[in-house]
Amino acid sequence: MLRRILILVVIGLSVMVIAACGNAPTQTTSGAQEIVFAVNEEPEELTAFQSVVEKFNAANPSIKVTLANTPDDDEFTKKLAADIAARTPPDLILFNYRRIGPFVIKGAVQPVDDYFAASASIKPADFYATAIDAFKFKGMQMCVPLNLSQLQIYYNVDLFKAANVPLPTKDWTWADFLATAKALTQDTNGDGKTDQYGVGIARQAIRLMPFIWQHGGELVDNAERPTQLVLDQGVALEAFQWFVDLQVKEKVVPNKEAEATENSQSRFQNGTLAMFFQSRVLTPELRATVKNFAWDVAPLPMDKTRATILHSDGFCILKDSTKKDAAWKFIEFMAGKEGQRALAETGRTVPALISVAQSDAFLKSNPPAGNQVYLDMAQAVRPLPLMTTWLEVESALNQEITRAFWGDVTAAEAAKAAVENTREYFKRNLIDLGSP
Amino acid sequence: MRLNNSRIPRSDEFIRTNRGTNKFVTTRAVGTLITYALLAIVIALFLFPLVWMFSYAVRSVNLPAPSQLEFFTPPLAFENFARLNEFFPLSQFALNSLRIVAFAVPLTLLTASWAGFAIAQLPPRARNFFLGMSIALMLVPALATWIPRFVLFAQLGWIDSILPVLAPAVMGTNPFFVILFYLAFRRVPREVYESAYLDGANALRIWWSIALPLARPALLAVAILAAAYYWSNYADALLYLRREINYTLPIGVQLLEKAQANNFPLMMAAAVIMVAPVLVLFLFVQPYFLQGKIAERWLK
Amino acid sequence: MRRAFSSRWRLSAYHTQLVLLLAPFVVGTFLLIFVPMTITLALGFTEYDLFSPPRWNDFQNFKNWAADLLFQRALYNSAWFVLIAVPLRVLGALLLAMFLNRSGRAFGVGRAAIYLPTMIPEVAYALIWLLLLNPGFGAVNLLLNALGLPSVGWTLEPFPARVSVTVMWLFQLGEGFVLMLAALQLIPQDVLEVALLDGANRWQRFRYIILPFMVPALLLLTFRDVALSFQGVFVAGLLTTETGPYYTTYFLPHYVYDEAFGLFRYGYASATTSLVYVVTIAIVAGLFFAVRRWRRDDAFE
Repeated sequence: MLRRILILVVIGLSVMVIAACGNAPTQTTSGAQEIVFAVNEEPEELTAFQSVVEKFNAANPSIKVTLANTPDDDEFTKKLAADIAARTPPDLILFNYRRIGPFVIKGAVQPVDDYFAASASIKPADFYATAIDAFKFKGMQMCVPLNLSQLQIYYNVDLFKAANVPLPTKDWTWADFLATAKALTQDTNGDGKTDQYGVGIARQAIRLMPFIWQHGGELVDNAERPTQLVLDQGVALEAFQWFVDLQVKEKVVPNKEAEATENSQSRFQNGTLAMFFQSRVLTPELRATVKNFAWDVAPLPMDKTRATILHSDGFCILKDSTKKDAAWKFIEFMAGKEGQRALAETGRTVPALISVAQSDAFLKSNPPAGNQVYLDMAQAVRPLPLMTTWLEVESALNQEITRAFWGDVTAAEAAKAAVENTREYFKRNLIDLGSP
Repeated sequence: MRLNNSRIPRSDEFIRTNRGTNKFVTTRAVGTLITYALLAIVIALFLFPLVWMFSYAVRSVNLPAPSQLEFFTPPLAFENFARLNEFFPLSQFALNSLRIVAFAVPLTLLTASWAGFAIAQLPPRARNFFLGMSIALMLVPALATWIPRFVLFAQLGWIDSILPVLAPAVMGTNPFFVILFYLAFRRVPREVYESAYLDGANALRIWWSIALPLARPALLAVAILAAAYYWSNYADALLYLRREINYTLPIGVQLLEKAQANNFPLMMAAAVIMVAPVLVLFLFVQPYFLQGKIAERWLK
Repeated sequence: MRRAFSSRWRLSAYHTQLVLLLAPFVVGTFLLIFVPMTITLALGFTEYDLFSPPRWNDFQNFKNWAADLLFQRALYNSAWFVLIAVPLRVLGALLLAMFLNRSGRAFGVGRAAIYLPTMIPEVAYALIWLLLLNPGFGAVNLLLNALGLPSVGWTLEPFPARVSVTVMWLFQLGEGFVLMLAALQLIPQDVLEVALLDGANRWQRFRYIILPFMVPALLLLTFRDVALSFQGVFVAGLLTTETGPYYTTYFLPHYVYDEAFGLFRYGYASATTSLVYVVTIAIVAGLFFAVRRWRRDDAFE
């Protein structure tokens, strides 16, 4: 009896093992090489990638690309780390240049200079310099950029028209912007509470930095080898104060309670917020969800100079991959004309490939109609410093920005705290980078 | 053992020897009123989140956010449930979760009850050792196990399959369950089991025909707890499942939360899908161990 | 082991079968709990970034704690939570069990209602509370307003955020509640009867009869709760309060998760996890030995 049951249990377990193993083939029956391509996309954007992947698979029967998506940023990095620790990494990832520092420095990424040299279809010169340079490390090209996304302003055309406010122009200034924002912040039903806000902007370093640059300042003391933040001095502090005053003084942005009740992006999508700061990544979602009003994109206002911040994702081959050549073939497709065109049409990207960016595939990809904005600003796009500890710096800095933004502390106090709290991270970065 | 045949008075019937009968009756009536009022408050309090969840799940997306307490505001939008699949294949995810539960719960019941059964019959020293070890292991933080387990399963090539998620079932899922079974089985003296053996039954038969029937409430309790654990497991599933087709329901709900952060009716609908099976299981099983004398059924 | 078994050799085959039944549990917990915990303890003395092999750095990780403000924050928050939530939960479970330990359909409904929130899966539970605690249209604030009280920024202000997380955890005391119910009903009725006839009042009955009998169950519940409450706030803190505002609901599990997976300082994270374990064991051992002299009945063994 005991023996019979034990046999049953063993059989049952074996069945389970077989059934479960059946979920993870690495060679399809046709003998095609399977590449795992890990991405970090929201559902609307994912469909864009899926369609391009299908096109590639159809055109290249010897290679099968499988998309592995993890929508959450942090989970994506964590899974990647766990995979690398266990030596089961994906072959190819699409990674934001902000997050790539630790992986590059620890040698987990395969440099692609040789692939570029041998490639017949794509060369570094085909891409915008800012995007290509963002993925260079110690002179080596680590990844191939997909896009030259930048922070710009999505705006609700109908709300502008209803309030009789002139639409943003190419050269509009901080003063113009503020006046516009104020005119669009209204109490529409007369109950004493603001129902419509002029502006929605995240309380993050990557939103603040363009304003510091525009005002003529810098966030760190040295872009190549930063040793500390300089947010608490001079020009940078002035810009910070202006940024914080959007909520504290001018009240054109939702306050803490309002933002917690319904966040700015939701308000924009529901038509109760006029101008929302975000990079190109929001476009597919807006196309899918906004049905009730016309919207477009406008450039950031300028101050002493024009500036905006780079948001770029790049295709990186992982060094531990055994199918690097196949992965490069896929990169040639995705980052080359074919893939760039397809993705540009979905609205997800501002192509880093110059030829496609200047073609109708991108320019006529609407809404938004004002796609030229991204190309006009291409020279004014600036990258973040490349640091192994950038995410920690950002995290600490974002806390202080939030504090000041809600008015819990003054901008000067927050700036000072930010400088102090991030000192250790800059130190560690210098150690990681080694000697120059 | 009773001293006489009178029944034990309930607390609110406690006789006050100095008071007259009339006053006693009134005191008792007030006491009962307070008791039931308190009970009503407790029930309302604990059920409130669930009721709100159900109410919001059928709230039409076109309605503005509520400005006062309203439940099940018409028009009732049952289509919220149908819409769930538009964003993610939630029905596929639910099926995946169900598959995991179907494998893991019986396996857990087997191994945990076996272990509890064995420990109940060990001599004191050995028994205390295993009990102490079980408690010490029960206290290990989950965080301590993630990466070592991940590396182990990666070596076995089990990443992107449900096997790592099922693996704990082989050890009874949680030492706490083993302790529960131990408490259930120990009520029977060891000699009873041993004499059954000497009569010709083997350990498995003794476990099946003698011990288990006595531990039905423990069986049910562990079944529910284990089912709830595997049904709602998020951390393990997220770590080990790579492809979306294999995702489980908690991951799907989390994805939905990222995608539709402000669409509360939809998120509550997803929450209902997550909670409903567990609720049904609970309602089905609860008469066995929540009515009347629990201990008798647990530990008789 | 051999000398513990009876010398009746006919039973040794039976004992072998028992050992076989015990095997899956022992082997499984060895591989899946014991070994990982040992590895974690060892890794606490290394520097390990998941990319390259671990390097011993002796006590450097522990020294780093002194300078790590975020760690101290998480530690403080977790300690606060455990010290406040566990006694509340255990006490609440006990009191509710005593209150609801009577027959009657209404009380059955009450017991079921208390157990229900425990069954709600973590993620769904956190989302429900996210909705309930919304400052603008969450049910909690709507209820307060209906009673004429002002709204509270539950997830917005530091102290309310802590309260929120604690209340969420308290609502899930159902498991302990059931344990307490079972233990209450184990108390021999005749002892209570004698006490009644001797004129003991409610407090005396509780203090000298009920409580001592309940001690083993109370201990077990407290042990489990201490361990659970270190980890239990992970999903709630993440989804409902987003570890905010300003890290007030940032607990040790969040810290360890970020260190290990976000910053790849896995050796350092292991040291912190080991700390959590050691503290849990210390609390449990402390409670056990402190209470041992109170035990009147060998109910647990």
